[in-house]
Order: sequence, then C-alpha cells, then structure tokens
Amino acid sequence: MTEATGVDELVTETADRLFTQICDHESVQNAEAAGAAPEIWSAFAETGFPWISIDEDRGGSGGTLLDALEVLRLVGYHAAPIPAAETGVLGGWLLASSGHEIPAGPVTVLPNGNNITASVSGDQMTLAGTCTRVPWARIAERIAVLVEVDGQSMVASVNPKDCVIQPMTNMAGEPRDTVCFDGAIAPASPCVAGVNPESFRFRGALSRAALMAGAIEKMSQLTVTYTNDRIQFGRPVARFQAVQQHLVWGAQEAALARMAAETAGREANRGPAFFEIAAAKLITNQAAARATKACHQAHGAMGMTQEYPLHHYSRRLWSWRKEYGGDAEWSKWLGNAAVSQGAEGLYALVTGGSSVLS
Amino acid sequence: MSDLTEDQIRSDLDSILERRSAGTRLTTMGAGSDDLDDGRRYLATTVDGGWHVPTWPQQHGGRGASPSQNALIGRLLREFVVPDLYPFAIGLGMVGPALLAHGTETQQDEWLRPIASGASIWCQMFSEPEAGSDLANVALKADQDGEEWVLSGQKTWTSRAMWADWAICLARTDPDQPKHKGLTMFSLPIDTPGVEVRPLTQMNRDAHFSEVFVSDARVLDSWRIGERGEGWRVAMTVLAHERAGGGSRGGGDGNARGVRVPGWISDLQALGVAEEQVWRDEVSKIYAHDSVSRWTSQRAADEARATGVPGPAGSGAKLRTVKSYKDRAYLTNRSGGSYGMLSEGPGYIETMTAPSMSIRGGTDEIQRNILGERVLGLPGEPRLDRDAPWRESRRGLL
Ligand SMILES: Cc1cc2nc3c(=O)[nH]c(=O)nc-3n(C[C@H](O)[C@H](O)[C@H](O)COP(=O)(O)OP(=O)(O)OC[C@H]3O[C@@H](n4cnc5c(N)ncnc54)[C@H](O)[C@@H]3O)c2cc1C
Repeated sequence: MTEATGVDELVTETADRLFTQICDHESVQNAEAAGAAPEIWSAFAETGFPWISIDEDRGGSGGTLLDALEVLRLVGYHAAPIPAAETGVLGGWLLASSGHEIPAGPVTVLPNGNNITASVSGDQMTLAGTCTRVPWARIAERIAVLVEVDGQSMVASVNPKDCVIQPMTNMAGEPRDTVCFDGAIAPASPCVAGVNPESFRFRGALSRAALMAGAIEKMSQLTVTYTNDRIQFGRPVARFQAVQQHLVWGAQEAALARMAAETAGREANRGPAFFEIAAAKLITNQAAARATKACHQAHGAMGMTQEYPLHHYSRRLWSWRKEYGGDAEWSKWLGNAAVSQGAEGLYALVTGGSSVLS
Repeated sequence: MSDLTEDQIRSDLDSILERRSAGTRLTTMGAGSDDLDDGRRYLATTVDGGWHVPTWPQQHGGRGASPSQNALIGRLLREFVVPDLYPFAIGLGMVGPALLAHGTETQQDEWLRPIASGASIWCQMFSEPEAGSDLANVALKADQDGEEWVLSGQKTWTSRAMWADWAICLARTDPDQPKHKGLTMFSLPIDTPGVEVRPLTQMNRDAHFSEVFVSDARVLDSWRIGERGEGWRVAMTVLAHERAGGGSRGGGDGNARGVRVPGWISDLQALGVAEEQVWRDEVSKIYAHDSVSRWTSQRAADEARATGVPGPAGSGAKLRTVKSYKDRAYLTNRSGGSYGMLSEGPGYIETMTAPSMSIRGGTDEIQRNILGERVLGLPGEPRLDRDAPWRESRRGLL
C-alpha cells in the first residue's frame, strides 16, 4: 500500500459539493420513506467515489484508503442515504482482494457473519443460513460474503436474487435487512493474506468511525446555527451559558471523534491498526452519545420533529454506535490489549499503538 | 369521607381493577401508542369511587380524601393495572387542579367530572413559535366583544390536540401591559370554528403534538379561567402541577404486590446482560436513582398537597424523573447489542422519545433556573423586559 500523508483536497471539495447538491433534508427524508435513493446513488456512482481506494486495474477508482474514509466522513456529514461504506472500503475491498469482478451497482456485506454455513466445491460456494442487519441488501447488486472454510478466508460474490430478503430498518430508517441464503450458489475464491473475518471487523469499525465523525460534526454545526437564530427572553439562546455548555460539548465531541477516526485511518493506511481502530470506534461511540444529548437539548422541541433535520444525524449515530462493535465490545478488546502488555508495557502501548501489539 | 384502611382500599379496588402481575408492561407517556380506550375504560370504572383523583370533591369525581389517604391510595394503585393515562393527563393532572384553584363553581361543575371519568380530553395550548421557555412572550391575542372573546394567533407543540375536546389556552389580552401582566387564560372547545389542528410528526414517529392555528375563534366570557390579566398566575399553577407530575399517575413501571424487581430489570435479565459486572453496575445505579426519584416526587407531591400549591420541589422531582427515564431507555437500547440498532430493537421507542423528556414541561435548564432562584436564592437572570410594555419588549430589548 502506498504511504499517503493526507487526503487529496480535491476529494473533499468534490464530494462535499456533490452531497450539498443532492442530499438536502427533503431528499434524505424521502429516501427513508422509500427505503432507497436511486438518484442519489447514481449521482454518487457517476463520480467514481464509491470505488475509491480500489485499484484501477481491479475495476476501482484508485486513490488511498484515506481518500475513501474522507468520502465516508462526508457521507456521514450529509446523512447521504447510500451504501457507500459497503460498496467501497468493505464490499469492494473483499471482492477486489479475492479476484472477483467489481459490479457497477451497490455492494453489501454481512457485518456479522452469524449463522452462515458454507460448503465449497471447486470455485462454487453453497450458502445456507440467515443473516440479520445487512445494510441495504434490498438494493445491492452483489453481496460479498466472507467466510472461513478450512482455515482459509474466502469470498463469495452472491447475487441477492438468489436469496430471500426481508426488509428491516435501523433506528434511522436505513435498510438493515434480513437475508436468508437458503442454498444460494455463488462463485467463490480465496482472499489475499491479511483479509479475514478479523481484519474485516476492524475495517467495518473504521468505516463507522469515519461516518460518525462526520455526523457529529454536522450536528454540532446545526446546533450552533440554530441557537444563534433562536430568540427567547429577547436574546439568542446561544447567549445563555447553560446553552453554551451544550455547544461546547457538541464541538469538542466533533473534534475528538474526527481526530480519533483520522488517526485510525492514517495508521490503517500504513499497516495493521487494530489498536487505533478499536480506540477510534469506542471514542466515536461515546462522543456520539454525549453529542446527541447536548445537541438535542440545545434545540428544544424543534429538534424532536421530523420537519427539522437534526434527527437525520442523531438517529444515525445511535444506530452506527451499535454497528461493528458497541462500547462494551471495544472496551473489552482494549482492556485485554492493555492487560496483555502488563504494567511495564502500558506506556509503550498507548504511545506506540498497534506497532507494539503486532 | 372517613379514612379507609389499607385492606379496605385494596378490597374495593380488587372489585373493579385487575391486579398487576410481574409481566405487566405498559407504555409510558404515550410513546408509540395511540390508545384511548384502555384509559377511558379505567377512568369510567374508577370515577364513582373517586379513586383516580381522590382529593377532588366527591361531586366532581373524587372522594374528598385527606393528603395521607390520597398518598395511600396512590401507593396501592400501583399494585393494579392502571393504563398509561397520557391522553388524559392534562385534564387530570393540570387543568383539574387549576380549576379547583381558579375556576368558578359553574366551571367546576361543568368540566371536572368529565375529566375524572375520561369523557373529555383536554390539551394545553401554551407554547407558541416565539414562546417556548419564554412562555410569557405569548402573542395569541384575545379581544373582548361583549360576552365573547375573539381569539387569533398560533400555538405549537400542542400535545393531544387531535384527540382533545377542550384546550386550556393562554392568550394576550393587553399588549400594553408588561409581558407577564397582560395575559388571560381561556377554555376553548377545540371544534370552535376558526381553530385548525395540524399534527406534526416526531422523530419517534408519533404524531402526538400539533400546530394549532386560531383565527377569529369566539369563546364565551364564562369560559375565562381567572380574572382578565391573571393568566400568568393560572399558567403557573398549571405548570407547577405539570412539573410535580400530577398527571402521570398510572402507566409506567409500577410493581406487582410483592414483586421487588421492576419490569425493566427483568427484561434486561431476560436479555442476558444482567450477569456482566459492568452492566450490573449500571443497572444498580439506575435502580438507586430511580428509587430516589420516586421519593423526591412523592415528597414534592406531599408538600404540594399540604400547602395547596406545588412549589419548586416539583422542579427537582422533574429533573430526577426524566433522568431516570432517559438512563433506562439508553441502557435498554444498548443492552440489545447490535440488535439495538434496529427499529424493532429493545428500547427503540423509548430512546427516540428520551430527548424530549428534558424539554417538554419546561426544559432541564429552566427547572434548574427555578431551583437556583427559588430554593438557593441565587441572583436571577437580568430581565429588562419585566416592566416594559409587551408591545415593545416582545422582540427583545437587548
Ligand atoms: C414532546 C413534547 C410535547 C410538548 N407538549 C406541549 C403541550 O402539550 N403544550 C404546550 O404548550 N407545549 C408543549 N411542548 C412545548 C414545551 O413546553 C417547550 O418545548 C419547552 O418549554 C421549551 O421551549 P422550546 O422548545 O421553544 O425551546 P427553547 O426555549 O427555544 O430552548 C432552546 C434551548 O435554550 C435553553 N434556554 C432557553 N432559555 C433559557 C434560559 N433562560 N436559561 C438557560 N437556558 C435556556 C433551553 O433550555 C433549551 O436548551 C411540548 C414539547 C415537546 C418536546
């Protein structure tokens, strides 16, 4: 992997401009009602953004993981109702690292490969079992299914038409469908070294940290704007110190979450980043909890209505907080990592991160 | 009525109500439910005994109970299935007490019994787009026209308006008076020509509150509650009862007799999280806080009954009660692990409702301002608009 020092500024600018144009309050609201947003997806796909960080000779758009995570941050920032993480850094990554073709449409993955059994014969895999909470399965062109068969990680590129899909939603109304495989047969091939259920789980957490950092930032900005406009007792409520405290919570959690997500992204772009990713997911999870509380409180009743956009962000944050590891799971992981280094190793772990663990 | 013993009350209630079992779960504060029937049936069943509003006079649907008898009845009612009375809460907990304090005899005769029996639902038309925390900034105007008043303006966040028969409506009758002085309280039949209710959908998908547009709606002078210009005083009575939680008896997490573990904890146990130490810690903390909340609310309610007016203790009780609700909601939601992300997951509706608990009925910040000023005697916020005519101060003097 190439060592990049930063994000291509053009990526930030173009993605931000695109989402500003196509993801307003109404289109996000409509997407929730409809369960999909085909126009938003096509505008997004036209730019090639979904496939950033996948090599061009594999059918991707090139660019680094940092660029891809920057796009995800902006997806979170604009509450874009599309399977961006699933198609690129998760599903696209799985397909590319196992030699599968990258389809032109959306891809999804199984965030928890629960209850799936697979049998392989030649280059075909037969799948059975049911997987819940699969993002956007109903609109996916392929489901990249990662399983371990006899100690070897393999990816099957499953056509969702061969599965039974029951629509379900997360707290934000985004599709989190139940997928029943029931004997689906799909082409399968082994992954390159380093791509396995564990590294996938971390990559999933990293994708959510980036999305969450963006959503927290947007929420914080909305709150500053709203409280400066909202007049009570003859002055903007932002002039009350009690409200300013909420604003500071929102802003500091946004900064913290972004810092954690970007640090983890930078390390992951360089090599193994288990420690940084675990820390980033835990930090963004907890930042999300504090920031949603503060931002809702500062908005008063306005923030509780569907007519005002705050809920697009707060509900996504409550959902994403539980995806690819809730607080308990990552706390435990980090606790075990710390304990494994002993008292003498603690400082080295905190300062050196994953390089110490590997 | 002379005081009954615990056993007498229990056996009277036994004859009309069902016992609560350990598995009884009810919605709280209407979240996610549009049911009116359960509450209506319960109130119709209890009104003759005066069981739900025991301190009200007997002819109005109470039983003229003493404060101690009332407290005992309240405690015993928790052993029975009392449905969530959210749709009826404004009448039972706020308008009723306000009418007893400020209403005329005719008004009491006409309105109290239907409230107690569940026959009429009331809503509270206080908040407006520019009058939230700053409630005294209400702009909806009422002009007198002989024996009638003509009301025009807009209310918002009016919970229950689409179910309501009546509204209690705070209006501006004298814009040249300072903001707190030119207000008057009215009762308004919600089907009055000129009143239009437009429901707003909340993020928890309930459409329980509405915008209410009022244009030239005519109400009788005999529906005015309190004197002209006394609206703020009546509003304070209503709000004090709201904070003290007068309307909320019923629903929620009462215990079956002899059952110590509240339902939300048994639910967590069923999910298997109660075995883990960190979760046990959180559960126990919330349980302890919950118990203190309940005692604080009881104390505030007792104090209110003793003095006849709920005081600032209600603000403390409200702060604690909403914190309990929120903590329980968030913990339950997280306890489902990644299932908790689903809109079918545990604690979904409560989590979506939770932020509003610290907003409705006066925000946490406003409750703390009340405690700071009225209990601790801290200096109040600078208020330049106290004496200026509302006409000049309404857009702010700073
Ligand atoms: C679910 C729900 C149901 C409701 N039902 C009803 C109803 O039935 N009838 C009705 O009349 N109203 C109802 N309301 C409205 C409710 O009373 C108001 O939302 C509440 O009083 C706050 O007003 P606001 O929303 O305009 O917030 P704002 O007053 O705009 O407050 C915004 C923020 O500024 C803070 N703030 C404002 N002033 C101060 C200050 N002086 N010091 C420190 N902080 C301050 C607030 O605490 C809040 O954090 C309901 C609200 C909700 C959410």
